[in-house]
Amino acid sequence: MKVILLAWRNIFRQKRHTAATLLAVILGIAGLVVFEGFLHQLMGSFRDSTILSGIGHLQVASRADYWKKGEYSPYSYALADHGKVEQSLQHDPRVLSVFPSTGFTCLAGAGTKSLSLLVKAFPNSRMYFSQKTNRRADASQLVPDKFYLGHLEAGEEPDPLQTGELYLGATAARILGVRPGDTVTLMALLPEGGLNGRDFKIRGLFTSPGFDRYFAYTDYKTAMDFTLQKAPPVLHILLRHRQDTAGVAGELAVKFPQDHVKTWQELAVYYRQVNSMFTTFLTIIQAILMLVTLFLLANSMARSVLERRREWGTLRALGTPAPAIVVMVLLEGILLGGVGGLAGLGVGYAAAGVINLCGGLPFHNASQLLSVDVVPEASLVGVAVLPLLITGALAALAPAWQAVKTQPADSLRELA
Amino acid sequence: MSRSTPLIQTIGLKKHYQLDKADSPALEGIQLKIFSGERVALMGPSGSGKSSLLNLIGCLDLPTAGQILYQDVDTSLMNDKKLSAFRNKSMGFIFQSFNLIPVLSVFENVEYPLLWQNLSSGERKARVAGMLEKVGLASFARRSPELLSGGQRQRVAIARALAGKPRLVLADEPTAALDQKTGRDIMELMTQLNEEEGATLVFSTHDPLVAQWAHRIIRLVDGKIVSDPTETANEQVRP
Repeated sequence: MKVILLAWRNIFRQKRHTAATLLAVILGIAGLVVFEGFLHQLMGSFRDSTILSGIGHLQVASRADYWKKGEYSPYSYALADHGKVEQSLQHDPRVLSVFPSTGFTCLAGAGTKSLSLLVKAFPNSRMYFSQKTNRRADASQLVPDKFYLGHLEAGEEPDPLQTGELYLGATAARILGVRPGDTVTLMALLPEGGLNGRDFKIRGLFTSPGFDRYFAYTDYKTAMDFTLQKAPPVLHILLRHRQDTAGVAGELAVKFPQDHVKTWQELAVYYRQVNSMFTTFLTIIQAILMLVTLFLLANSMARSVLERRREWGTLRALGTPAPAIVVMVLLEGILLGGVGGLAGLGVGYAAAGVINLCGGLPFHNASQLLSVDVVPEASLVGVAVLPLLITGALAALAPAWQAVKTQPADSLRELA
Repeated sequence: MSRSTPLIQTIGLKKHYQLDKADSPALEGIQLKIFSGERVALMGPSGSGKSSLLNLIGCLDLPTAGQILYQDVDTSLMNDKKLSAFRNKSMGFIFQSFNLIPVLSVFENVEYPLLWQNLSSGERKARVAGMLEKVGLASFARRSPELLSGGQRQRVAIARALAGKPRLVLADEPTAALDQKTGRDIMELMTQLNEEEGATLVFSTHDPLVAQWAHRIIRLVDGKIVSDPTETANEQVRP
C-alpha cells in the first residue's frame, strides 16, 4: 500500500514533464481509438452489406465447384435435396430465411442494340432496391431477410406477385436505350445446347458501382422456367445472428454430407482481403504506437529516476528493501501507462462522439463519398490499456534497476 | 552508560574510492568503539572521512577492508533484506539537507520508516503524533515539507529518525544547512531527545561550537583518527 501510494504521488511530482508525457500517450491512444472505430464501422458495414448483397450467411450447393463455375452456368449443379435442406431449417430459431437462387448468362437485345448480361434470380420477396441515396456507411439501408441489390434509379420495387420482369443496370439500360416499361429480349443457352429467347418487361433500373454495366435481376420462378431447370443450384441461408454461422454450417455438413456448405467468410473473398489489409494496417499502427509510448515512458521514467537518486538512498537508509524500490519504480511506469491509456480512451471515445455528431468521417467508396461513424470496439479497452500497462512496466525496468544498483551512500552523495 | 560491550565497534576499517581509475583513500584503518547512550561528534575538515565513516557505521556503504560490529554482530554478513530491516529498526538518520520525501506530508514522512515495522496503525499514528509534539511541529502534520523552513524540516527529520525508537542515531552535518541560532536549537533538541529516548547519537560536524554538544569528540584528518579522548584512541593503528 505504502509503495503504491508513493508511486502514485511520484508520477504527478514533475507535473509539467508528466503532463507532456501523458499528453503524447493520450493523443496516441485517442488517435488509435478514432482510427480503430472508423475501421470497425467501415468494415462492419462492408461485412453486413456483403452478406446481404447476394451472398447470405451460408450457401448450400450440390458440388464444391459450383462457386467457381456454376453461378451463371448452373445446369449441372442441381441441388436435388433442396427441399429437405429447407425443411430441416424451417423451425430453427437461428434461421431467418432460406431461399434458392439461380443465374445465367444471356444476350440482351432491344431494337438494333444488344449486350451480354449476367442475370441473377432470387424470389421477388427476397430482392430489395433502396430508393434513397444513403451516404452513411452503416446498416440502415439493409433489410435483414432480403438481399440489397442496389439503388433504384427508376421504376418500381419488386412485387412478389409479378413475374417475368427484369431489373436492369442503369449503364446497361443506357447502352440498350431502354427505360422502365420497355421490353428487352433475352437469349440464353439451354442445358442441351439449344437457345431460348423471351421478352422481359423492364420494371426498374438500378445503380450499383461496377455492376450496373453487366448485371440484371429477375425473379427466381421466371429464371427457372426460362432456363428449363428443375432444381435450384444453390440455397441461401440468412441467420438472425452472424455469430451462429459456424454452428449452423457444422450441423448442415453433418446432416447433408453429400452437399457442400460455405460460409460468408469463405464466399466474401474481397471482404476478406480488404479486412486482412486493414487489420494488418491497424496492427502496424498499434505496434508503432506502443514503440513510441515505450520510448516516451522509458525516457520519462529514466529522467524521473535520475532526478531522484538521492531519494532512493534516503528511502533505503530508512529501511526500504531494494525489491520494494524496484516495485515502486515499476508501479510508477505501470500507473503512468495506465493513466495515459485510460485518459487516451476517454479522449478517444469523446472525440468519436463529437465526430459522429458532426456526421462522421468522409470515405470515398468507388464513385460514392460516404460518411463513416466512428464506433470503437469495446475490446479496445483491453487492447489499448493492457499493452500500455506492460509497456509502462517495460519502460520502468531499466530505471528501476538503476535506482537500486548503487550503494545507498553513493545515492545520498548525489546533489538534489 | 555501560562500558562493557560497545554498541558499535570498527576494526581496521578502510574505505577507498575509485575516482577516474585512481585509488582515493577516504578512511585508513579506523579502530573505534562507541558505547550505548553516548553522544559522539566526528570532527574534521572537508574530506577528512567523517561522512564516509558515518555511512559505513550506518550500513549505507561497504568497507574496502575491515569490520563493523554492532553489538558483536558483523553487519557485513547481512544480506540486503536483513540490512534494510536492521537499518529500519536499529538506526535513525539525520541528513545535512534533511532528505524529506517531498510527496509525503510531514506526518507521512515521520510515519514512513514505521510502515516497515510490524506496528498497528493506531500505535504508528500515536508514535508519530508524539514525536511531532516533541519536536514542536504537531500543528504542521498535514503540511508539505516544502512549505517549511530549514529548521522545521530538520525537526521533521529528527522526528523521523527517532520515531522508530532506534538504538543509534547518525547525523551527518545536521546543522550545516542552518543558520547559527537554528543550528543551536536543533542541537539542543537532539541532545534533549538523546537523553529522553536513550538513543546513542553520532554526528559529524566541522563546527567546534556544534561539536561541544557531544560527550566525546573524535577528530579525523585524512581518513585517520588523530584524537579520541577515550582509551579507544590508543588502539588506533598508526602507520
